[in-house]
Amino acid sequence: MGAYLTRRFLLMLLTLFGMSVLIFVMLRLVPGNIADILVDAAGIADPKEKAKIINELGLDRPILEQYGQWVGGLVRGDLGFAYVSERPALEEIAPRIPISAKLAGMALFFSVVIGVPFGVISAVRQNTALDYFLRVISLSGLSLPSFWLALLVLMASVHWFGTIPIYSNEPRSFLQEVGLLSIPAAVVGFRSSALVMRLTRSSMLEVLRQDYIRTARSKGASQTSVNYDHALRNALLPVVTIIGIEAAFLVGGLIVTETVFNIPGVARFLVEAILWRDYPIVQNLVMLIAFVVVMVNFLVDMAYMALDPRIKYAD
Amino acid sequence: MRTCLALVAGSLAAAVFVASPAFAQKQGGTLRISHRDNPPSASIHEEATISVNQPFMAIFNNLVFFDPKEKVNSPDKIVPELAESWTWNPEKTKLTFKLRSDVKWHDGKPFSAKDVKCTWDALIGKGDEKLDIIRKNPRKVWYSNLKEVTVGSDTEVTFELGRPQPSFLSMLAAGYSPVYSCHVSGRDMRSKPIGTGPFKIVDFKRNEAIKLVRNPDYWKKGRPYLDVIDWKIVPNRSTRMLGFAAGEFDMTFDSDVTFPLLKDIQAQKPDAVCEARPSNVNTNLLVNRDAPPFDNPELRRALALSLDRKAFNDILFQGHALTSASLLPPPAGVWGMSKEMLETMPGYAADREKPLAEAKAIMTKLGYSKDKPLKLKVATRNIAIYRDPAVILIDQLKQIYIEAELEPIDTTVWYTKIQRKDYSVGLNLTGLGLDDADTNFYENFHSTSDRNYTAYKNPEVDRLIDQQSAEADLEKRKKLVWEIEKKLIEDGARPVINSNVANTCWDPKVKGVILQHNSIYNGWRFEDVWLDK
Amino acid sequence: MAIINHEAELTRAGAYVTGGWSTIVFFTRRYPLGAVGALIVLGFILTAVFASVMAPIDPTATNARASLAKPGGTYLLGADFMGRDMYSRIVHGARISLAVGVGAMSLGCILGVSIGLMSGYLGGWFDLAMQRLMDIMQSLPLLVMAIVMAASLGPSLRNTIIAIAIPLVPSVARVVRSSTLSLREQPFVEAARAVGMGELRIAVRHVLPNTLAPLIVLATAQLGSAILTEASLSFLGLGIPEPHPSWGRMLSESAAEYVRSAPWLVIFPGLAISLTVFGTNLLGDALRDILDPRERT
Repeated sequence: MGAYLTRRFLLMLLTLFGMSVLIFVMLRLVPGNIADILVDAAGIADPKEKAKIINELGLDRPILEQYGQWVGGLVRGDLGFAYVSERPALEEIAPRIPISAKLAGMALFFSVVIGVPFGVISAVRQNTALDYFLRVISLSGLSLPSFWLALLVLMASVHWFGTIPIYSNEPRSFLQEVGLLSIPAAVVGFRSSALVMRLTRSSMLEVLRQDYIRTARSKGASQTSVNYDHALRNALLPVVTIIGIEAAFLVGGLIVTETVFNIPGVARFLVEAILWRDYPIVQNLVMLIAFVVVMVNFLVDMAYMALDPRIKYAD
Repeated sequence: MRTCLALVAGSLAAAVFVASPAFAQKQGGTLRISHRDNPPSASIHEEATISVNQPFMAIFNNLVFFDPKEKVNSPDKIVPELAESWTWNPEKTKLTFKLRSDVKWHDGKPFSAKDVKCTWDALIGKGDEKLDIIRKNPRKVWYSNLKEVTVGSDTEVTFELGRPQPSFLSMLAAGYSPVYSCHVSGRDMRSKPIGTGPFKIVDFKRNEAIKLVRNPDYWKKGRPYLDVIDWKIVPNRSTRMLGFAAGEFDMTFDSDVTFPLLKDIQAQKPDAVCEARPSNVNTNLLVNRDAPPFDNPELRRALALSLDRKAFNDILFQGHALTSASLLPPPAGVWGMSKEMLETMPGYAADREKPLAEAKAIMTKLGYSKDKPLKLKVATRNIAIYRDPAVILIDQLKQIYIEAELEPIDTTVWYTKIQRKDYSVGLNLTGLGLDDADTNFYENFHSTSDRNYTAYKNPEVDRLIDQQSAEADLEKRKKLVWEIEKKLIEDGARPVINSNVANTCWDPKVKGVILQHNSIYNGWRFEDVWLDK
Repeated sequence: MAIINHEAELTRAGAYVTGGWSTIVFFTRRYPLGAVGALIVLGFILTAVFASVMAPIDPTATNARASLAKPGGTYLLGADFMGRDMYSRIVHGARISLAVGVGAMSLGCILGVSIGLMSGYLGGWFDLAMQRLMDIMQSLPLLVMAIVMAASLGPSLRNTIIAIAIPLVPSVARVVRSSTLSLREQPFVEAARAVGMGELRIAVRHVLPNTLAPLIVLATAQLGSAILTEASLSFLGLGIPEPHPSWGRMLSESAAEYVRSAPWLVIFPGLAISLTVFGTNLLGDALRDILDPRERT
């Protein structure tokens, strides 16, 4: 067990290290760098000025040295300076994390609250009209592009309420913030809830076929109690996995949703930083996202182990 | 009592003017404006975009300024700002300013003539290396005639020019010419600038918001009226428009409302005040005259003749754009050729049949036909305002047996590619920071300019540019300017399709906004703007 | 992983009832949703193939008088602000979506299958290295990975396909690897080896076909997600450039600006994307039911 944990932990480190190399190299393959963009934004292409900026930012140093500098800083907790704002990257990134985290948390909440009950109902009423209906709805959730859904929500909102739920001005209270974030969170959550529902349904169906359910039934337990007490409890285990998958899934949804609703979170910031070739921001944000994904997967595995004593992990 | 002068540009039919009755301006309030993108920095001298000028001009002052109450910037409508007065020496090569003595920077330090010297020394490359006020200088060419700045006393500073240049004062009056201080580094100017202007910067949150607050120690007593200007950066235009319609913003970003969108805004917010005006940005073609096939002047001529300016205008501007050469035509602009003169230029005639027939004849002579078209790529920046006209151009070129394909260039490598001359036809937008013959010609067409992207080189045009620049008599100078415009058209130097016009809208409670009709880059001090609520 | 007896599964699914028309009828009866999905996908493919016939108007032709024309009449689905026919653009857009969807899926599968097959078959350091590489790639969400890839390659049809295909590789490689691992030790593989068959031939002739079932299920799901990713990339301005009529591009920038006065610009391309992806998802579900008995109920 201890050895397994150590192994998992080392693998995580290896993955993150690999990611850092991958993103570093990929960014340097992107055509154009920050100096091009800054000079271009001013509408001139004076090679002397460009060279000066490149030199100032250390982009002319050997690539290995640049990499070493970044990773070295990362280990010490120094993320470097953002190219565009010329402020510490940490100051730029840190305030955006809570916003995205809240949005993701709320979206996750929506997806579980909607997805799990409907998944159970769908499984219990398998092959009825209700099941078909719910499956079609959940499939459509997976099929609608979330930016389109977001645009439709905005359109409807202006049409019926004359206002739009875009994130603006610092919210004054927690409740107001929740209010502002709930609509974008619902948009992201709708898509994720479809995934949750499908997986809940299939794991529930699997459990319902198990012998012990049949036994419980034959012992005279009521249908409802069998469905909800025995089956659901066991089916929830795989649902925990979904949360792991979702962690990665949600970030994708966040990027477009934050763009449409103008939420100043990390996901939208990432796209913006890529367009500006702001390496310190992109590199660190990508590492942050990779870290979250890897960490969540790790925790999910741990939770699995704790919840299901049958699972044994070999070293 | 202020009444609105109805000196309305006849072509600007959609312009809305609101006569302001005699109510007293009210103090206080927050003005909320949407911003279209993240400004590359807050340093006006380092940038060349309205994204920087509109929010950050309110932090600064100039020496002199185009009268913000006038809609048309012209050389005879310049008023003092940090300078109290100015005088030319008899040879018209030395310009001396007498400065105000009661001005403080936002950090409390006093303003003096040294700050003026620091600023312009940096702009002519004589700046203090250590201070590094600016690291890039897109308007170097404006000051190529400035030899030296000398400080007479704390309140006196003199600009010494190499030769007489009447436009020099206009350049100092542009929104692009704020006075920077000696004691603030370039890095700070880019992220949290210190100025002398009516508003101080509180926060510049990248990609998110810009917040300015009233400068309580502003030297102009009783100004500004607003307490706060809140800019929210909203890159998605539909979200910006919905936000304005829903009352999240009191004002749109400058020229953000295109004509097709205007209908929408007026339907959703019938009380919105919208004003149409030229942005002094023109859509033009870059033609690579050094490489086949366009090294052939005949072919360049055919290309110029084939442009159906009306179709561009109808589609993109619902007919509101202005037909122009490189300078904005009157009455909105000071320098451009009139409509009648333009119509005599090759390719500008209202009747399309003759020029098109001529273009076709040229193409046939050169051996092209419907079955044997000339194949080429139209390069353009991968942004909608560039791409949309390029798509129309490609559609039009079909008529003269040119089968073109769009080549969208990532905006980061656009200028590099253009400078390498790695294109045959490019679709480009050129914005003029100032409605002025010198800035336009020296920036875009003089053989020595960095921004002469097509490397157009005509010694005679260079000579004429210098000649008009030194000419003191405005009417004589205009004649020279028109002569240059005509040559540029005939040479197909950078065929201009038209000058863009767009709308800016605000809520009726916002008062005192006066849009400048020949430069969107000027007039954004916000010191006379107030909220009626 | 269990070995799937395809013969039996397909028989059970009704594939061999009598063949031909009755197969379709049987499939439709047993998997009504799958049949609907198949129909949608078929319609999508036919639209893409016969785009020029179905919509003879040039999708890039501009016309001032048709700017923001309402749906109906000449412009069946309206026109955008440049007066380009929306119906034509949507029909031709199917080509782009199909090209990107199928292109990215195939490229992703080819790479994924080769890596997975080699990984599972060779084992050892190669397997280890590939596994770690897949770990690294999977530590970023699909869209994030695609965005970084798309930005580094620059916007074009080919680059968009690559940018979407690469992030799809790990899941394919994983599935193929795990089936390969279990297949490698199967008696029929042993037997093939005993008769002196070369390892490569064994891999291609015996192992690969048996990994096909989960692969088909995965590939169908990926077709949908490739189409969606392309739409998202184009929406963010990183995907297919103009003047290609890409559905995602149609929804970005100009179209979305006219939501109020010209809602058809937003509604129709969005419907096209949703319907197509919905179809592939329905079909994918049915295929999974048929081919992957573990999921069967």
